[in-house]
Amino acid sequence: MSGQGVAIGLEGVSKRFGAGRDEGLQALGTVDLALRPGEFVSIVGPSGCGKSTLLRIMAGLVAPSTGRCTRPDGIATAFVFQEAALLPWRTVERNAQLLMELEGHAPADYRARAAEALALVGLAGFEKSYPHQLSGGMRMRLSLARALALRPGLLLLDEPLAAVDELTRDVLQEELSSLWRQAGFTGVLVTHNVHEAVYLSNRVVVMSPRPGRVLDVIEVPFEFPRQPELRASAGFAALTGQVTAVLRGQHRAEASA
Amino acid sequence: MAFARNAVPVLVVALLAIGFWWLLSATVYQGKGYLLPSPQDVAAATAENAAVLVGATLSTLKEALLGYALAIVLGIVGAAVMAQSRLLERSLYPYAVLLQTVPVVAIAPLIVLWFGYNELSVVIVSFIMSLFPIINNTMLGLRSTSRNLAELFALHRASGLVSFWKLRLPGALPHIFAGLRISAGLSVIGAIVGEFIIGSGNAEGGLGVQIVFAQGRMYTALLFAEVIAATLLGFVFFLVVSAIGRLLLRHWHESAQGD
Repeated sequence: MSGQGVAIGLEGVSKRFGAGRDEGLQALGTVDLALRPGEFVSIVGPSGCGKSTLLRIMAGLVAPSTGRCTRPDGIATAFVFQEAALLPWRTVERNAQLLMELEGHAPADYRARAAEALALVGLAGFEKSYPHQLSGGMRMRLSLARALALRPGLLLLDEPLAAVDELTRDVLQEELSSLWRQAGFTGVLVTHNVHEAVYLSNRVVVMSPRPGRVLDVIEVPFEFPRQPELRASAGFAALTGQVTAVLRGQHRAEASA
Repeated sequence: MAFARNAVPVLVVALLAIGFWWLLSATVYQGKGYLLPSPQDVAAATAENAAVLVGATLSTLKEALLGYALAIVLGIVGAAVMAQSRLLERSLYPYAVLLQTVPVVAIAPLIVLWFGYNELSVVIVSFIMSLFPIINNTMLGLRSTSRNLAELFALHRASGLVSFWKLRLPGALPHIFAGLRISAGLSVIGAIVGEFIIGSGNAEGGLGVQIVFAQGRMYTALLFAEVIAATLLGFVFFLVVSAIGRLLLRHWHESAQGD
């Protein structure tokens, strides 16, 4: 695949941390992956398999040891961390403006877009609050709004919902899915939650333990918009079972080796 | 309410201490006012020498403020320079520590030699005393930037300067104020120590000079009044700096919330 049809492409990408005689730590095996524009892909894998490293390579925060990561020019990329990573001394609206401010947008422009993004995630009316006054779920919404205000072509999410309670997580998953359909970005979500991965994604990439390789890429056939009831359906259970089996199978193979 | 809750226990302790002091001076030290004057004597000495006390306090305040201001500017700038790279830190930080460990009393003659028997020398002693906590805490603050936020700024192509002003410096403020609070008291101590050794160019002099005078005259009641004035000066200095810190941090930092 090349050019137009790829939102981001990874060819033979691997990562080794540290170097020298001890050969460092092979964090990520060799990964080939191509994302289609506008699709939502989740990456699941056991802890330490290098899935967060993979996401950081996609963001350009980490340089791969081998291979290349290609991205069409002029695509805004935004990153959402597990912790909301807000500036505690800035109000909600000033936090939402941050990325555009850093990218050198005009103030009039970023004020309007931040307000729009805050409304989109349901934080209208909290503009003058400070992060410490918000709940965990609201902080994550603000973190999403900050990313969305940039109107990213590519949104990279590093376990953004791992730290919120289960009820909030379900609600945020539904909101994230509807934001994705509205905003039309290409989404990559790293998670250890198989249900979350299946519920949100077009495809689920399953990775092996360290050094992480792609074990399988599973297509999720359910239509969007997906309803919360989908989670209780037999088809959903079958698919999450399939993903879990791929994850487990590898564990068993490792354990008996 | 908050004021009453904070102030009442402190005032009770003060009253108890003054009561105990009075008791001692009226019993064990009865007739030995040159060793321990009674609270009444100290009050009388304060009233009698009010003009000298106020003048000396203002003079010490001025020296301490100048030394403190110099320490703030050079301390924060120095820490910011050292926080730019590990190499700079490794090359310069040991000298900041040296400045802290060199006995000020021992280098005071050198300071006098270079700058003369004047206010400037006193200001420099105050500066040396108050510099290190500011450098050290500012560096600590500048180094404790959250990794995620640093990555976020890098991802969106923020320059080093932008990251410094919008992320690292504001993030370091709680640490900087911790250093400023420690140094507030130290700058007053530095000024008084400086006056002790250096004296002052003009006739009146600050509290340090007056304390030496009072000691020479065995005027212990006035000595007490001056020590109390010096202590209160440092204390008020500390309170003012704390209040400014709380004002700046009240919206976001735990240390400035609650109560």
